[in-house]
Amino acid sequence: MPGYGLRITSIVLGWGALALAGSLPGCVEAVPQDAIEAVENIDRDLMQLRAAEFSPNDYAQFAHQWMALKSRVQADEDLVRWPWEPNDLEIALRRLQEEGAHTVTRLTKERETLRHSAESKIAQVEGRSRMMTLQVSGIDSRLVLGQKPVETDLLMKQAHAFYEQGQYDRSLDAADRAAQNLAMQAVLLSHELGRYANRDQIIGWQQMAKDTITWSRIHRTSAIVVSKADRVLTLYRNGQKIASYPVRLGFNGIREKRYQGDGATPEGRYRVSSKRGQGQTQFYRALVLDYPNEEDRRRYRLERKTGQIPASRAIGGQIEIHGVENELMAQTLGCVMLDNPQMILLFDRVEKGTPVTIVGALHEQNSIAQTLEMLGVQRKET
Amino acid sequence: MNSRSTMVPVLCALLMLTACAKPPTEQIAAAEKAVSEAQQSGASTYVADEYAKVQGSLAALKKEVSDQDGKLAIFRDYGKVEQLAVAAKSDAERLKAEATKKKDEAKAAALQAQQVAQEAVAATLALVAKAPTGKDRAALESIKADAEALKASLNQVQMAIDTADYPVAQTKAVAIHEKSQAVSHEIEAALAKIGKGKPSAAKKK
Repeated sequence: MPGYGLRITSIVLGWGALALAGSLPGCVEAVPQDAIEAVENIDRDLMQLRAAEFSPNDYAQFAHQWMALKSRVQADEDLVRWPWEPNDLEIALRRLQEEGAHTVTRLTKERETLRHSAESKIAQVEGRSRMMTLQVSGIDSRLVLGQKPVETDLLMKQAHAFYEQGQYDRSLDAADRAAQNLAMQAVLLSHELGRYANRDQIIGWQQMAKDTITWSRIHRTSAIVVSKADRVLTLYRNGQKIASYPVRLGFNGIREKRYQGDGATPEGRYRVSSKRGQGQTQFYRALVLDYPNEEDRRRYRLERKTGQIPASRAIGGQIEIHGVENELMAQTLGCVMLDNPQMILLFDRVEKGTPVTIVGALHEQNSIAQTLEMLGVQRKET
Repeated sequence: MNSRSTMVPVLCALLMLTACAKPPTEQIAAAEKAVSEAQQSGASTYVADEYAKVQGSLAALKKEVSDQDGKLAIFRDYGKVEQLAVAAKSDAERLKAEATKKKDEAKAAALQAQQVAQEAVAATLALVAKAPTGKDRAALESIKADAEALKASLNQVQMAIDTADYPVAQTKAVAIHEKSQAVSHEIEAALAKIGKGKPSAAKKK
């Protein structure tokens, strides 16, 4: 049966050819397109996350692997591979996709954490800054801080701008620097005004006030004590307190006077050297003090000698207790200012030669000491 | 001479040609140079992701060179290396151009913001100079300190520009501008208030 054998052979060969033809399309595609697209999607996700800026090492690692595989994809794309052969390139792409997905998840979390840190820090520093502004304003010590408040303000504006741009690391950095600046302000205030919280210094001031009151009692005359922290002038007669008036100080009055034009109000023992009535002063009524006294001169000479006061600066003078020139310009340059109705009462009760003692504070729990304490606590918290 | 004897020299010549395959050093060097130039032009900052990729391509290229070097001489083929080097060079040149463009734009934006800030600060300082040296000094002295601080901060903008940190320069300049305007408004309000009063003559204090 030769015809039958030939037919069997033909059938076998036909089916074999069909099977081979059927298997060929499966071998042509070296790397499935979806594997490439998946890695491309991961790359897009990483770019959207700005991984190259935010976490350059992570992105560099991904990009190096991706580029290495991409070059292999381009080289391998025309190769025919049998279905049963392992496809190393596809395995590597799938692995990169998996690693990349993990990186995307991790960086998304890290970025969110960073965003939250920046947001919290901005809120914290802003709150602290507002509090400090209020506290500093409360004790009239803005000028002690010089340019620092503006520096803080600018840094906070930068922190906001970077936050809006999604540059959370830079935002956090600016907010951190603003926090440091605030801490420096607290240190500066503590350095400049620390004597208001110094127990020995306060005991010294209390003694000066006590001596003045005793003098008033012994000499049966008037005496004045001014407390800068309380912004209060107290009038004594025969050692008895007879009146207290609120006062305003120089524009930098909280500081200790050192030289002309510093806006500070001096501390020390003085006397009324002359009285200026209506028409003799532009400030309604004035009690001129004998500033500078010997102690002021000694300190001034020493500070000039040590270079703490510029040679061009004079010691100043004409410190007075006076009224208000006009309510629109109710601020003094270093004197003690009272409202006019109270000034006339004081003026009429005081003679030339009346002792005037100006002190920083009379109580340990004075407003400045309390503010410094609060700022110290806040500084530790920030 | 039969056909076998004529094939021998041809095969030998082919073998010799293959055995002499060498890495395309010039193309590799050109690619490396282009990547380096892209980096210098700020690509790592302004087109960071693209730059990371071109660095990846360069690394892939070097690995391919190493792979080919590890083969027997007759099997070496640097065709892919050459292809990668050409692509890397081309990409790096594109990145250099893009980075330069973006950097120039960032610089221009920073310079413009700087100019606006300078003008705002100058206007603020002019207002401060107008303020009377009369009695209401605390507010004015405080404003003066603010204006001086703004003036000093302009140096920081310049420093950031000098170090090509344009984002910092721009945000700082914008902040100075905003703050300067706020201070100017404050001065105008203070001037309006003080203007109603009579400025005092300067006196010793």
